[in-house]
Amino acid sequence: MISSFIPGLIMIITSFLLPTIPQYFRHPAMLLSVGLSALSLFNGYGTFLEWDILGLNLILYQSDSLTLPFAIIFHIAAILVIIFSWHSKNLMEHMATLAYAGSAIGALHAGDFFSLFIWWEATALTSVFIVFAGNTNAAKDAAMRYLIIQVSSGVLLLIGACLMLYQTGNHNLAVLDLKTNFGIFIFIAFGIKAAFPLLNGWLQDSYPESSVTGTVALSAFTTKLAIYALARTFPGTDSLIWIGAIMTAFPVFFAVIENDLRRVLSFSLNNQLGFMVVGIGIGTELSLNGTVAHAFVHIIYKALLFMSMGAVLYRAGTTKASELGGLYKYMPFTTIFCIIGAMSISAFPLFSGFVAKSLIMSSLGGMGMVLIYFILFFASAGVLEHSGIKIPYFAFFAHERKNKVKEAPINMLISMGIAAFLCIAIGVFPKYLYQILPYAVEYQPYTLDHVISQLQLLVFAIIAFLFLVKFKLYPSEIRSTVLNSDWFYRKMLPGIGKPLFKKIGLLTDSLYKNLGLSFKQVLSKSYKFSNLSYIKVTTPSFAGTILISILFIMLVIVLV
Amino acid sequence: MKKNDLKSMGKSFTKYILIIGVLLIFLDFTFHRHEYFSFAEIYGFPAFFGFVSFVFIVILGKWLRKFLMRKEDYYDQ
Repeated sequence: MISSFIPGLIMIITSFLLPTIPQYFRHPAMLLSVGLSALSLFNGYGTFLEWDILGLNLILYQSDSLTLPFAIIFHIAAILVIIFSWHSKNLMEHMATLAYAGSAIGALHAGDFFSLFIWWEATALTSVFIVFAGNTNAAKDAAMRYLIIQVSSGVLLLIGACLMLYQTGNHNLAVLDLKTNFGIFIFIAFGIKAAFPLLNGWLQDSYPESSVTGTVALSAFTTKLAIYALARTFPGTDSLIWIGAIMTAFPVFFAVIENDLRRVLSFSLNNQLGFMVVGIGIGTELSLNGTVAHAFVHIIYKALLFMSMGAVLYRAGTTKASELGGLYKYMPFTTIFCIIGAMSISAFPLFSGFVAKSLIMSSLGGMGMVLIYFILFFASAGVLEHSGIKIPYFAFFAHERKNKVKEAPINMLISMGIAAFLCIAIGVFPKYLYQILPYAVEYQPYTLDHVISQLQLLVFAIIAFLFLVKFKLYPSEIRSTVLNSDWFYRKMLPGIGKPLFKKIGLLTDSLYKNLGLSFKQVLSKSYKFSNLSYIKVTTPSFAGTILISILFIMLVIVLV
Repeated sequence: MKKNDLKSMGKSFTKYILIIGVLLIFLDFTFHRHEYFSFAEIYGFPAFFGFVSFVFIVILGKWLRKFLMRKEDYYDQ
């Protein structure tokens, strides 16, 4: 029976039952539901559940070598988030988180575009409550914008799926290209969730507004689901190489000047997605393996970094770099975990980022794509700048802190500890990660050439940082807002729209007034010719209302 | 607690990083580093690339503040 139960669905059902479960048992119940869902990981490959409805054959549960690594890491992420939020009593957020993770896992197993659409929207509708749970006015506003963008992505996907069905008679997940109109619709739908350049505003807008624990959940699922979807439907699409390269490079500059460290991590998340998108664009077995491996390790170290900043927010009350510093004395464990996350994302040898990023870099090098190779190499120095140095430096060091804060709660430390352990374990023993990748590829990341080259890049980038700080060239943190692509719909469109609508409003007002006047004139003229007693407003009695209703119902029945 | 002092920590960190940096450059002379692109095999190329990229990112980012930076309550106005 378990074998035909859609993975993730048990988590969604549990999330709806959470209000009936006493507070103390909620987190164990959540963990149990993830564990039950994870049983599906042992089902092997194949199609397990189909549903014929309205003449459509929906594939609700299928699994193959691309699904499995994503399903494994989504389950791990769900467990990390649940442990991290163990101290919290926010029921709405727990429900939303569990249902969100469940929807994302369900989406991985959809075998056709219509099933995918349902889960696609389910992740949007559940995750918006996580943003909402930030419980500030800014979070509520961001949640509304987030919802509009996410649902729009779903609508584009639905349009694409309908067009595809109409034109080809097929709606199963398949490799598409950008020569068809439905391909373009689906590409943009995925591109919104994957935070392509200029479609990325929602990510940096909403994630940092969410709660201490919420951001950790958000960082794991939506964007990686989009990466999975792109890897399934658009592998080897050339334009993805350039889109990905731009994604790796441009958020780097925004991250340098951003003050809110959780927003810095959101820019960093965007840059990491770029590496994965490049891997999909190349489309070879090695590069697709690289994308999947990168998504896998990225979810862990990005969750770790967001957890460490969540712990800082929880204890120090802010993640603004301008107000932090010196926390290493009071939060030593959080500091160590954050540094492990920072070294992993920066791809230091023996950390997880190194063994994953190498696959993508090697496939670029092997193809002779020199320009893209060095854009990504350059972006690697950028990752070190914002995630490797800026995050730990401004939060935990920078200057001595005056007022004391407590170390993070034990559940947070456990969750961060597990994530940190995984970061190092994968870095030291990459073969276990390589075993679950979609294609069997022999690859050795630890060659002397590769290790020395990467260490030179990283160490001399750190020396550059020390040099810039020494000569006071490193920009100080300033409380500010950094403009991003959400500016277009938060400032520019309202800037044009509001005065325009005001003018239209004034126009229609005057039109109505004029019309009203002439109507009155006609009416007053007609009065002269008619007996005023004809114009009488009557209110129907109770019996009359019943009679009219019965007549109306009879009319409906007759018509039907 | 003196040992935990940020300044002394910073100093010893700088010292060790510089030593590692020198070692890495020295290592480059001891063997031929194979790269995908021949110009990247020049001695210390990744080190130079890392240093210059980092400085470039920070300086350009700082310059971009002129265009991208607004007051904290910019969107609330």
